[in-house]
Amino acid sequence: MRAESLLVPIGKTLAVAAILVWSLFPIVFIVASSVKPGQDIFAVPPQWVFEPTLQHYATLWAQWGVFFRGLWNSLLITIGATVLAVVASTCAGYAFSRHAARWLDLSVVALIAVRLIPPIVVTLPLFPIVNRLGLADTHLVLIVLYATFFVSLGTVLMRTFIDQIPRDLDEAAAIDGASRLTILWRVIVPLAAPGILAVAVFVIVFAWNEFLFAFIFTGTNAKTAPLVISEMIGSIDGVDWGVLFAASTVQLAPVLAFVILMNRYLVAGLTAGATKG
Amino acid sequence: MADLRLTGVKKDYGGHSVIKGVDLEIRDGEFVVFVGPSGCGKSTLLRMIAGLEEISDGTLDIGGKRANDLSPRDRGIAMVFQSYALYPHLTVAENMGFGLSLRKTPRAEATARVARAAEILQITHLLDRKPSQLSGGQRQRVAIGRAIVREPSVFLFDEPLSNLDAALRMDMRMEIARLHRDLGATMIYVTHDQVEAMTLADRIVVLNGGIVQQVGRPIDLFRDPCNAFVAGFIGSPRMNFLPVTVDSLSGGMAQVSAAGVGPVAVAAGRITMPGPAILSIRPQALKPDQAADRSPLHGHVVLLERMGTETVVNLRLHSGQSVLAVVPGDLELQPGQDITFSFAPADVRLFPASDLPDQPGTPH
Repeated sequence: MRAESLLVPIGKTLAVAAILVWSLFPIVFIVASSVKPGQDIFAVPPQWVFEPTLQHYATLWAQWGVFFRGLWNSLLITIGATVLAVVASTCAGYAFSRHAARWLDLSVVALIAVRLIPPIVVTLPLFPIVNRLGLADTHLVLIVLYATFFVSLGTVLMRTFIDQIPRDLDEAAAIDGASRLTILWRVIVPLAAPGILAVAVFVIVFAWNEFLFAFIFTGTNAKTAPLVISEMIGSIDGVDWGVLFAASTVQLAPVLAFVILMNRYLVAGLTAGATKG
Repeated sequence: MADLRLTGVKKDYGGHSVIKGVDLEIRDGEFVVFVGPSGCGKSTLLRMIAGLEEISDGTLDIGGKRANDLSPRDRGIAMVFQSYALYPHLTVAENMGFGLSLRKTPRAEATARVARAAEILQITHLLDRKPSQLSGGQRQRVAIGRAIVREPSVFLFDEPLSNLDAALRMDMRMEIARLHRDLGATMIYVTHDQVEAMTLADRIVVLNGGIVQQVGRPIDLFRDPCNAFVAGFIGSPRMNFLPVTVDSLSGGMAQVSAAGVGPVAVAAGRITMPGPAILSIRPQALKPDQAADRSPLHGHVVLLERMGTETVVNLRLHSGQSVLAVVPGDLELQPGQDITFSFAPADVRLFPASDLPDQPGTPH
């Protein structure tokens, strides 16, 4: 009995530790490698104690200006895609929630089905279209693509959220003198804010890290940070792993900070509708 | 302030008829209660007046103006919902002033109107709170406050008290009655609770199956219901219905009899032919005594519900029929005891058997 009562907490602690190592190892490895002297990064056995250096960051700044332009592009595209996806998902989620109709339900299934297709299948036929429209290598093409890619999940998520908001509130607002748009803006949006944040987190993480679409549709003007990082591996001077890890850390930091800050809302967003009240 | 006129108003949902042609006039300043069992269409009718449901057929006039196609905000109405429907992200003051802010009412005037309504409802101390910090009764006051602030010509109430406990319900009932007296506004109130209907209404509209059964003052409906449905719905405890046979008719009177009843002569009402009929007797009209001018009912006591000032006696007649009677609380009775009740022929009403097709023992 006594042994058993000890085993349970030990087992739990071990399990938590394993999960922590599993999820934190890549992050710790990247961040630690970015401040290790070059020769220590892949040293065998691993160097746990080392003299931290910011040398790689200095090199990154001096030699890879294109990376920071990439970050700027990533930022613009991420903001654009997020705003577009959130606005579209909220409007669509509201319509799906408040207008029950069989064809609307069918279209929800279609929205989800689109997500099951491998992205590359969607991407290749788009290539000539994007070229014809003169949108290749523009911010706009990635903004629209990323937003489009997330509107399906976003709509389903927002619908679930808005379903929780009693219809009586719409009706009370209508009697109070609100138009549909006013109801959406002044009643639904404030109450669905956690859902909107959850959708935003998804789009931000996706758009910030996305590689495939960016690789195919951008060249120089709208090149995003992940593309530049990939170029570092193929660099003609050989791979400078320290700089690569420094760039990865810079790329990782904002989105990691954002997700940690928004974690509470993200969990709320994903479990919306799980319980009543 | 405004009067309302409904003419041949109908509501269909995909071929299914919910409101089957309502004609009704509501006078300016009147308090009208729609009452009926759940699913009778009373809430639908209210929502049609509010503009939340489309009117399939017929016309609705508010203040002499056709309102069928007006949006809710243009009808000059305010509505209090059963769920209160307060905006959870706004404070009490913001909730009450929401409609004013949408109409771009000057801030000073809006604040003054909110303050005045809060004072009327004694919720001034709650103005800065969020709805989640309020009790059910307080929320209902805020919901009513939101309606008052708008100064509508017609107030609509959709079962506003059904989420409150019994004591609070009585308080709020009196509050709403006081409000109607003070504001003098036209009010339409939906409830399934006939006590609320009886105590609040200038006139009651009894609905069943999407059809208006009877419209009238509460006391008229109580004393002179036009059919067995109204008779059964209005009054507490419930009306007793006894299946009887009409033996003969003459001069507006019907000679009726049944096992354990009569023969007794009662007003014929809508009965025009001898045959099966329903005799309705209010529990309060049954007296535990026998007099020469009263007709007796013999049975035994099954159950006693002692309320204090009065006792509800559940009686089984020798014919097997269950009957309720209300007797003074100090009357000594025992379950199982044989007893004879009596009624005055003037206190009962006779209805066609077709009024209550589901009544046990009623010939079909």
